[in-house]
Amino acid sequence: MKVTIPNLGNITLIAAKSLFVNLGHEVIMPPPNSKRTLDLGVRYAPEYCCLPLKIVLGNFIEGLEKGADTLLMVGGWGPCRFGYYAETQKRILKSLGYKFEMISLEVPRGNLLHQLHYVHRLMNKNSFSTLIKSFRLAWAQVVAIEDLEQEALRTRPREKIKGETTKILQAGFSLMERAQSVEEVEKIKQKTLKNLERIKDQGKEDLIKIKLVGEFYVALEPFVNHNIEEKLGYLGVEVERGVSVQPWVTSALNLNFLKGGQKKEGPVEKAARPYLPHSVGGEGQPTVGNVVLASERGLDGAIQVIPFTCMPEIVAETVVKKVSEDLDFPVLTLIYDEQTGEEGLVTRLEAFVDLLKSKKLNRCLT
Amino acid sequence: MGNFKIGVPRALLYYEYSLLWIDFLEGLGAEVIVSSPTTKELLDLGVKSAISEVCLPVKVFYGHVMSLKDKVDFLFVPRMVCVEKGAYFCPKFLGLPDMLKSSLSPLPPLIEPTIDVRKSATNFKNAFLEVGKSITSNSKKIYCSFIQAQKNFWLYSAANKLEEGDLNQLQINQPINKSSKGEGISLNVALIGHSYLLDDSFVNLNLISKLKKAGVNILTAEMVSKKEIEKQLKKLYKPLFWTLSKKTVGAALYFLEKKIDGIIHLSTFECGEDSLVGEIIRQESHKYPSVAYTEFVFDEHTGEAGINTRTEAFLDMIIRRKIYESNHT
Repeated sequence: MKVTIPNLGNITLIAAKSLFVNLGHEVIMPPPNSKRTLDLGVRYAPEYCCLPLKIVLGNFIEGLEKGADTLLMVGGWGPCRFGYYAETQKRILKSLGYKFEMISLEVPRGNLLHQLHYVHRLMNKNSFSTLIKSFRLAWAQVVAIEDLEQEALRTRPREKIKGETTKILQAGFSLMERAQSVEEVEKIKQKTLKNLERIKDQGKEDLIKIKLVGEFYVALEPFVNHNIEEKLGYLGVEVERGVSVQPWVTSALNLNFLKGGQKKEGPVEKAARPYLPHSVGGEGQPTVGNVVLASERGLDGAIQVIPFTCMPEIVAETVVKKVSEDLDFPVLTLIYDEQTGEEGLVTRLEAFVDLLKSKKLNRCLT
Repeated sequence: MGNFKIGVPRALLYYEYSLLWIDFLEGLGAEVIVSSPTTKELLDLGVKSAISEVCLPVKVFYGHVMSLKDKVDFLFVPRMVCVEKGAYFCPKFLGLPDMLKSSLSPLPPLIEPTIDVRKSATNFKNAFLEVGKSITSNSKKIYCSFIQAQKNFWLYSAANKLEEGDLNQLQINQPINKSSKGEGISLNVALIGHSYLLDDSFVNLNLISKLKKAGVNILTAEMVSKKEIEKQLKKLYKPLFWTLSKKTVGAALYFLEKKIDGIIHLSTFECGEDSLVGEIIRQESHKYPSVAYTEFVFDEHTGEAGINTRTEAFLDMIIRRKIYESNHT
């Protein structure tokens, strides 16, 4: 079984890959997202479906071209379209004549047998202890990757030599890829953190701080969001991430569905309550909550990144406009589709950062 | 409480639930004002007040709310989340009251019951009874008015369903002689799509009356029984989780299986559900080459002339095929 996994930043490139390699599968990663990936996706996906579906479809096609025979996806049960991605992509790829098996992992609902079959396939006759060991390693990698990336966002605007942060991060990740134990992952993480600390210009303390919120995939996949985190870093902005893979995985593993599917209200949902008291699927409600929290914590602004036609985020965008007005908190909404150009994005980011700087200066003067 | 006015926008789920809502509210003694059918001015109001990214039906909804907001004491905008196990409404319905409150102000107070049967099986009823309590203190009146409204609603929903054999009867395979150029041929064309597209003749640019004028026998998802829809949906590998799309897909599969003459799928630009559902229907339609299938996508710029041309071409194609087939069999 030759498995391919769609790209999602370093998370799938390192953690998901290591999980399946340790379970004894041959993993064929699709090539890094490129113009071609996007073109393939746009050509074969329905016209006005959202960008993540198109890119992931492109990944699958490129993975199949490299010889994969099994596609790995995750699914869900709505109301966001994401839950039906795997099914749609499977149909499209089958109609294109590809031969493959699609394994779509999701919380079972009426299709328990399918899911057990998938798990059985992925276990690959390994014992449960091997599964748990591989999973613990992959999980440690996920946590380490996200921690390092967050630290890099703090370091980049303060680096003395431009590009240094990215270099150190890349070096750390390439070591991480080969890590074989949880302890090793931890060691690499600590070493990389130390390296990052070393290149920081300690003089720069009071920087513009922006919360990055929005749709999960666009926020986390650098190719799709045109490397927005790095661009902001070079503009001297400290970015704080509002989305992370971790809660997403834990909520699935916590077996929420056995408790009736009603998630407990967290601090983010509580913050969103006055404006959006009900979940709208996807990251709609957390987006609103994170903007409110960011304003309360004294950040300078927020950027919401969403794919064109995203259903939950359009609700959030409407509501966030009101939040921004009420709390006098600048929010920039960036909508990505296959037409998004790099230069237009840069101009908008620069203008937004300039606005935040002058706002901050005014506040300091008065 | 005296006589006060409750506004119900004639848009979105109004077309599914109007009977239930209006009967219930009127039963409580309130004066219900439904906004007038969509017009150009109404749509323009909506386009101006909503953010540009939302889909056409939501913009239409905004327009209706704008036209009502100064005339009524309350606006009835329920938050429809879930009315059956395992399926939701579109995220925009889930956040509809909040979207309105965020972008339109001042608004009259909203009556916004949350209808979510995941919480409890009786939630649907309870949500309405809760609404009733805020209007009148007479709990017997509330209860009776809900039961009566629900009864009427069910009766109406169950009526006009196609029975087994109806379709075969409709399928008039009358002999067509070579000389006739299509006159006198009766076509059975199914229109599928959200009810707020099908039933709003401004949004769909009078498509229904156009088809009727052309002598087409129109079939809709409303005519397919719930049981039949559920049966058809079993063909999908993974169950769908949108209430409205389930109806669309189920009906489309049913009409495909019955091999009617043609199917037109109406959708709007940016409709999230339809972007995936349309793909499913399109692919399924390939399995039935004798059924002509096309998709009309509407947005606020859609012109009537374009739709006319496409409708005519679609019908011509079916007629030509029928003539050809009758001459070669």
